[in-house]
Amino acid sequence: MKFRFAAPVALAVALTLAAAGCSGGPTTAAGDDKSFEFWSFTGIDQKAAVQEYRKEHPDVRVKLTEVGSSTETAQALTTALAGGKVPDLVLIQGDDLPKFVQQPQNFHDLREFGADKVKGDYLDWVMSQSTTEDGQIIGVPTDVGGMAVAYRKDLFAEAGLPTDREAVSKLWPDWDAFIETGKKYTKATGKPFVDNAPTSVFYQAVNQVSEKYYDNDDHSPIYAKNPQVKEAFDTTLKAIEAGITAKQSSFSNGWSAGMARGKYAVVAAPSWMLNSIRTTAPGTKGKWDIATIPGGNGNWGGSYLAIPRNAKNPKAAWNYIKATQSPKGQLQHFLDSGSLPTTPSVYEDARLTSMKDEFFSGAPTGQIYTKSLLGLEPFYIGPDSAIIGQEFLNALTDVEQGKGDPAKAWDTAVKNIKTAIGQ
Amino acid sequence: MTTTLSPQRAGLPPAPPLTRIRRGIGERIAPYAYIAPFFLIFAVFSLIPLLFTLYVALFEWNPIGDHTFIGFDNFTRLFDDPRFWNATRNTISIWLLSTVPQLIAALFLAHLLNHARLRFALLFRMSMLVPYITSVAATAIVFAQLYDRDYGLLNWLLGLGGVEPIDFIQSTWGSRVLIAAMVTWRWFGYTALLYLASLQAIPREIYESASVDGAGGWKQFRHITIPSLRPVIVFTVVTSTIGGLQIFTEPLLLNPINAQTCGATRQCQTLTLFLYEQGFGQYQFGYAAAIGVALLVLVLVIAGINYLLSTRIRPER
Repeated sequence: MKFRFAAPVALAVALTLAAAGCSGGPTTAAGDDKSFEFWSFTGIDQKAAVQEYRKEHPDVRVKLTEVGSSTETAQALTTALAGGKVPDLVLIQGDDLPKFVQQPQNFHDLREFGADKVKGDYLDWVMSQSTTEDGQIIGVPTDVGGMAVAYRKDLFAEAGLPTDREAVSKLWPDWDAFIETGKKYTKATGKPFVDNAPTSVFYQAVNQVSEKYYDNDDHSPIYAKNPQVKEAFDTTLKAIEAGITAKQSSFSNGWSAGMARGKYAVVAAPSWMLNSIRTTAPGTKGKWDIATIPGGNGNWGGSYLAIPRNAKNPKAAWNYIKATQSPKGQLQHFLDSGSLPTTPSVYEDARLTSMKDEFFSGAPTGQIYTKSLLGLEPFYIGPDSAIIGQEFLNALTDVEQGKGDPAKAWDTAVKNIKTAIGQ
Repeated sequence: MTTTLSPQRAGLPPAPPLTRIRRGIGERIAPYAYIAPFFLIFAVFSLIPLLFTLYVALFEWNPIGDHTFIGFDNFTRLFDDPRFWNATRNTISIWLLSTVPQLIAALFLAHLLNHARLRFALLFRMSMLVPYITSVAATAIVFAQLYDRDYGLLNWLLGLGGVEPIDFIQSTWGSRVLIAAMVTWRWFGYTALLYLASLQAIPREIYESASVDGAGGWKQFRHITIPSLRPVIVFTVVTSTIGGLQIFTEPLLLNPINAQTCGATRQCQTLTLFLYEQGFGQYQFGYAAAIGVALLVLVLVIAGINYLLSTRIRPER
């Protein structure tokens, strides 16, 4: 009957192994400044940046983990902060950032390492999002969105529209003109013009405001009475009613399939979207071009690097931030992977302005996107901004999919937001 | 199995000899030591988290910030929350849609497999288990594509018959049916196999004497098959209820764009998914814990009703 004893023993061994597995294998020695653990998310290619850094600092060991999507990474970080076992460096997406800035005791105030001396290198409204009200700096911005519109030249030609990017940009000085252009396209071809309205119209227009869901001064929620938000919402409803959208939610299966088959001609494209188009529809190379966003400028997206309070090697992590996020480092990263620098001093650099993207017919992406960032008025982003935006988006999607009543959509959205955030 | 345990047939066991009682304390403790690993793991991974959930539900609990005691406020908020009632409706509909047809169909299939003279019977019996060993994630992704509005196989077939495409994923009933179909597809064969195993334990003679007495196929099914299967029916009803009320992966993966709400209007958000959204999407751990407690109560109530109903299927005497 030996196996009867063997079972509990085997179990105990298995449990010990499982516990060891949870601790993430061999850990680096504490406080040696020569190694650090770095959590990033997928699709942003931090691997390239790390390799670049290792070339210049071969003695530093970087343990890079791509946790998952940006949301999953923020979730994992929350769990890690609650549990106490944290990475030394973490990349946080802009939408997830407010929740962490609200709890600054979980992070190093980067002024300890001299962040206040370099903060002037970055766009001030980007920096303000990672700065607490009493001036603690929680994160250093790695990239921003910037806005533009990607369009299919071949499909525009079929519809008898201009195809040159200057001429196309002139077609839509504002969103109403954008909708009118869409109507012309749909009338000429019988096909939808834009992928969907909630993302390609609402999420763009609502990020072009001077004040968004919260009051800029007293930080109280004003989403229900801000005329700028209402206007973006109504413009989106108008786009839906015009019948120019393909009703494909961004990143859904139908969206990907439709993009590859040319079922729609236009996608709103913040700078990080270009890579999605490239990987979703590789067969459309050279058929796209990029025009300016209706309304001229705006920003959507961007990420930050932060150092958790209980990090073992905060100094090594900071050295990495300092080297890779300097204006020179961000310029290099733009040239390598296309993510847009947050450091305005390089916006005039010849290497940035001469950058052309062959997938998009040689469009000067550096020039187009940096231009969309200049002259932006910063708005306050509150702890529940992401939820508020999602509920507005959901109400609009419901109308676009043909079930929601457009006349009631605004009230539904406001009611749902009240339920979700309690105010 | 049941017959050997039946007290009417077995005589009284012989009185234990005196020596056996005196074997010592080690002998008496040993059984507890053998079962201890399970109960230790149960305590660490189930009991303590359960009690801790009850505790957290009384707080406004930010995992990386303050924990404020608020008593039963999370529960009063929950009862006023339309999202909670929506999730409850979705959960119960999906559970009914997936459990009832599944158990009935499995019963008939098992009856057929047991009686029909089939070639390759083993092949048919084994193939029923294939869906069960397929990963849930793979199932959800493939089903979502089959039922897609624009590029789905199902709507393509309907289109050949001149039917307008149906948007299963975006509509309330469509998405519920779709999730129920996934669950049924996955568990149907497993349930049928459980029934088949107990059917094979029923002696042929009972059926033979029944047909001599003039009982037809339906009467045999009604008066022999179902009563003999009572224990396994109760077992499958209870397990599929517990599983059905906790459906999570299927709705999470059905609509990757609005994963945490299973769509723009929460049309197929189940209670577990609502819990996940509140806890890990919005970091309201206290509120999520309250949802967990509400789900526990719901499972207990429905399992109780189930038990009462199932025990009514008694062997006729």
